Amino acid sequence: MMAAFLYNGERKYSYEVLINTINQHQEYFPLYKAPDLFSYFVNLIKAVVTNSPLVLLDSDLNLSEVPGIEESMVNKPTKLTNYHFSDMTAVLSALRQSTSEITIFTSGTTGQPKKVVHSVDTLTRSVRIGEKYEGKVWAYAYNPTHMAGLQVFFQAFENQNTLVNVFNMQRDEVYEKIAGHRITHISATPTFYRLLLPFEQSYLSVQRVTLGGEKSNNHLYENIHKIFPEAKINNVYASTEAGSLFAAKGDCFQIPAAIRDKFAVVEDELLIHKSLLGKSDSFSFDGDYYHSGDLIEWVDKEEGFFKFKSRKNELINVGGYKVNPGEVEDAINAIEGIRQSLVYGKANSILGNVLIAEVQKEEGTELTDLDIRKTLKGQLQDFKIPRKIKFVEAFSLTRTGKLRRT
Amino acid sequence: MKEKVLEIINNIRAAKDMAPVAELHIEDNLRNDLGLTSFDLAELTVNIEDEFDIDIFESGFVNTIGEIYTKLEK
Repeated sequence: MMAAFLYNGERKYSYEVLINTINQHQEYFPLYKAPDLFSYFVNLIKAVVTNSPLVLLDSDLNLSEVPGIEESMVNKPTKLTNYHFSDMTAVLSALRQSTSEITIFTSGTTGQPKKVVHSVDTLTRSVRIGEKYEGKVWAYAYNPTHMAGLQVFFQAFENQNTLVNVFNMQRDEVYEKIAGHRITHISATPTFYRLLLPFEQSYLSVQRVTLGGEKSNNHLYENIHKIFPEAKINNVYASTEAGSLFAAKGDCFQIPAAIRDKFAVVEDELLIHKSLLGKSDSFSFDGDYYHSGDLIEWVDKEEGFFKFKSRKNELINVGGYKVNPGEVEDAINAIEGIRQSLVYGKANSILGNVLIAEVQKEEGTELTDLDIRKTLKGQLQDFKIPRKIKFVEAFSLTRTGKLRRT
Repeated sequence: MKEKVLEIINNIRAAKDMAPVAELHIEDNLRNDLGLTSFDLAELTVNIEDEFDIDIFESGFVNTIGEIYTKLEK
């Protein structure tokens, strides 16, 4: 009896069904906006095991934001050469030798989403395989087209674990899944865990809770511990550019000894050696190093222990998504009747930050906040659209919410 | 106060092309009945805070309209 591969809504997919589906249609979608999670995974695995290139598109990605994507090619199937996999051993063996290039997108610092091409090696760098990883049941809580979602997928898949889709689910449903499937592992953004609060009941099946993406506070850790008292809690540092790099308990990270010489710190900023990164035209290197934009503080330099202080640039973290306020301002300023705008994040107990736009209108304009938001809808991904638009005579705040000094 | 909450919720629904609700009931669930996502709930907190100076989610999760009223009546 083979383990379940995926529970998605009411549907259950075994590893057997997965292999049969992979063998059945010898074609895949090189540019894929998947209708559902199972089709998404099938397509990903097909690409990887046949060494074919794949571009992963977020289901709410606005293609006009992405340069170099031929819209007519999206979800067009391409034939694959004959293959047959008799079992998971064969599939995993092909995966481990894969030369596929997987393209993902991030919201970049320069406005447009940044395209990064990864090898399967980089994507699976942090995967641990072995007896102690067998039989785990994962809550799948990340966007599957983003780095963190890929990391969780490969960790679970290579150990033939079970994935339970909880991405974008409501609190009650998430708890129902955790109890119903006896979930053992959860890896998610702090926002996901915040939505599980307040503590009402403990769930003892959960052995490990991983937080990634954003910084979080002790209040959250304490509550997670109450909800999942048997779980070890840890943080991961992963980026779209480099994949998973280091993990640690609490808010202190350690660079593994094996890659410690691949990092440098200049003016508190963490620099990452190019050998650890995917490929992208939008990376700019300083010698052999990439500026991560993360400011850190050594706790024990010899042993590679450090803490994150802040981001160098002004990206705003909204529910785990990074928003470049300049990009949003540009889009608002382009609307007819608007003179100027200022976009900033306001601390929020649900999303970490919520986007606020202060807007100066031109005289005699009838624009409403709803008009502006509707216009932006056609241009930006949803998470980049300010949730509050304030019409002002003059700007009062900087993006960090401090009083603007003029 | 209740009218203001209704207005705020209908504004959020309008922005996502959802029809306004005529009235709110204390047992209405913000997510299940009113169709608000976590991003919408964040918008709700910002607007309520602007209006009433109270962060309704500060000390834990709020699920229903009744729970909002309770926080605002304090």
